[in-house]
Amino acid sequence: MLETVVQAVINGLLIGGIYALVSIGVTLIFGVVKIVNFAQGEFVMIGMYISFYLATQFGMDPIVSLVITMPVLFAAGVLIQHFLIRRVLGPNDMPQIFLTFALSLLLLNLALMLFTANYRTVHTFYSDEAFHIGELNIPVAKLIAFVVAMFLSGALWVFLHTTDLGKAMRAASQNRDVAMLMGINPNRVFCVALGIALALAGAAGSLLMPFYSAYPFVGQVFVLMAFVAVVLGTLGNVIGALVASLMMGVAESLGIQFVGADSGLIVVFAMLLLTLAFKPTGLGGGRAR
Amino acid sequence: MMFGISTRVWLLLAAGAAVLIALPLVVTSSFAIDICIRILMFSFIGVAWNLMGGYAKQLSLGHAAYFGLGAYTSTIMQINYGISPWIGMVAGGVVAMLASLPIGWLCFRLRGPYFTIATIATAQALMLIFLKFRDFAWGAEGTTIPNLGNAPLMMQFEEKAGYYYVALGLLALGLAITYQMEKSWMGYYLVAIGEDEDAAEAIGVNAPRIKRDIYLISSFLTALAGTFYTQYIYFIDPATAFSFNISIEAALVSIVGGIGTLWGPVIGTILLETTSALLQSWLGSSLGGVQLTVYSLILMAVILWRPTGLMGIMTEWYQRLFRRRSVQT
Repeated sequence: MLETVVQAVINGLLIGGIYALVSIGVTLIFGVVKIVNFAQGEFVMIGMYISFYLATQFGMDPIVSLVITMPVLFAAGVLIQHFLIRRVLGPNDMPQIFLTFALSLLLLNLALMLFTANYRTVHTFYSDEAFHIGELNIPVAKLIAFVVAMFLSGALWVFLHTTDLGKAMRAASQNRDVAMLMGINPNRVFCVALGIALALAGAAGSLLMPFYSAYPFVGQVFVLMAFVAVVLGTLGNVIGALVASLMMGVAESLGIQFVGADSGLIVVFAMLLLTLAFKPTGLGGGRAR
Repeated sequence: MMFGISTRVWLLLAAGAAVLIALPLVVTSSFAIDICIRILMFSFIGVAWNLMGGYAKQLSLGHAAYFGLGAYTSTIMQINYGISPWIGMVAGGVVAMLASLPIGWLCFRLRGPYFTIATIATAQALMLIFLKFRDFAWGAEGTTIPNLGNAPLMMQFEEKAGYYYVALGLLALGLAITYQMEKSWMGYYLVAIGEDEDAAEAIGVNAPRIKRDIYLISSFLTALAGTFYTQYIYFIDPATAFSFNISIEAALVSIVGGIGTLWGPVIGTILLETTSALLQSWLGSSLGGVQLTVYSLILMAVILWRPTGLMGIMTEWYQRLFRRRSVQT
């Protein structure tokens, strides 16, 4: 019994690392640019397809293909901010919500047209390997994904706290108007925020590829998790999003283990509704940092 | 003058209504009538969404929740207890209103985009619950509605024209409610909340109450469409009744047509549904995703270049025409 629980917690933590990459992106964009990117999941999907084609066409390992997916998606983020999102930043919610929502619909349906709804998988030499510690199983592919995800999150934290650009981004997220008065160029900061967020989503896609199938709707699973984690971890709070994502992974995994294989999503929704009912400002208590 | 509408507008409305009523007598192609019915129904859903999403700018993407509740209430009443869908339709509306109270209580705690996400989550959660209800609501397989032939009292018609008139009636109801609301104190309160909720509260608008009330009306109307659609396609399952596409289309037609305007959802639906029908006849159903790709491009174009939608463009043309004429005279 105890081993089953520990195993479920381990599985949850490992997948939670991937959720964290997606949620950190969502919360970073929300904190700095003050919009919600509904298309974040679709960039995970794009990252997966890039890794899939690099693996099948050029035999590149999906984890190695991070060095391609991350820069490509960083560039995509900068372009999307510069040509699309910049034009709808105003006091009105409607254009912001429905622009990124339209982008999500567009990318999803383009993927459906180009790649069809088939599931694509990449089989690597470590896809089926696992470490055994007593009764416990730790799949190698998921462990690599978790470690790289934590490394990337840590790198982002260091970037936000030590570099000038990172500090400028935190300043813009705390008080945009004052940050601008201090001479911070908002569009440059926003472009970098979008770029980093999308690069993290692309990284999540590459890391998933050795043990998860790519299909056009795959992003929806991750973006839903990310939205819940971002509310739970207090909007705009990077560390909150990280912790909440790991919690969501564990909660989902325990739900699958003890309630039934198809109840993972029900647990997620239940967590969202409970958060809204009792702690709408999130666990961090309403402060963005 | 009646209800504050001038005689000229009454005549226009009467002429329009006459054309719409006579339409099924002229158009006999079942494909064309089907498109008309879809246009009327999605216009109605758009009108229901627009009451809350358009005027109060509470941008929900979870109206499928109420569509599905309406559909399931009337179907369960009809199949298990033999109650007419006409009664079931109203009952479904009441169920939707009751459901909107706790859902609204939760979702209205968030504002802006996070309100939108919370509404998506509640609609998806309801779909998951209905997937689990095997003994009570047929689970994932769904069920077909027993075909009774021509039974107007059970909302079943042999001719598609019957469904056309039901949809027309629903749309007329939705437009009448919107028109009344637009002129009432409630309409002004809603617009005030939509413009700036904090400012509206500061001048004494009870925003939580107004938002709750408009959510009740909007969900009631959306549920009526759910019953109608189930009767029209003779089938119900959680994936169609709680389809995310319903939530998307409700919002899309209003935004493309003109958010927060009386006729916006109708004009938006005419454009989107016609486009979709044309695409289908050109490409067939072979290429999945084409319809929503085109919808999303239209939506992006509207947001980037015309946030006021087609209504905005038409008003502009009208004013330009009017100004030129007044210069000439």
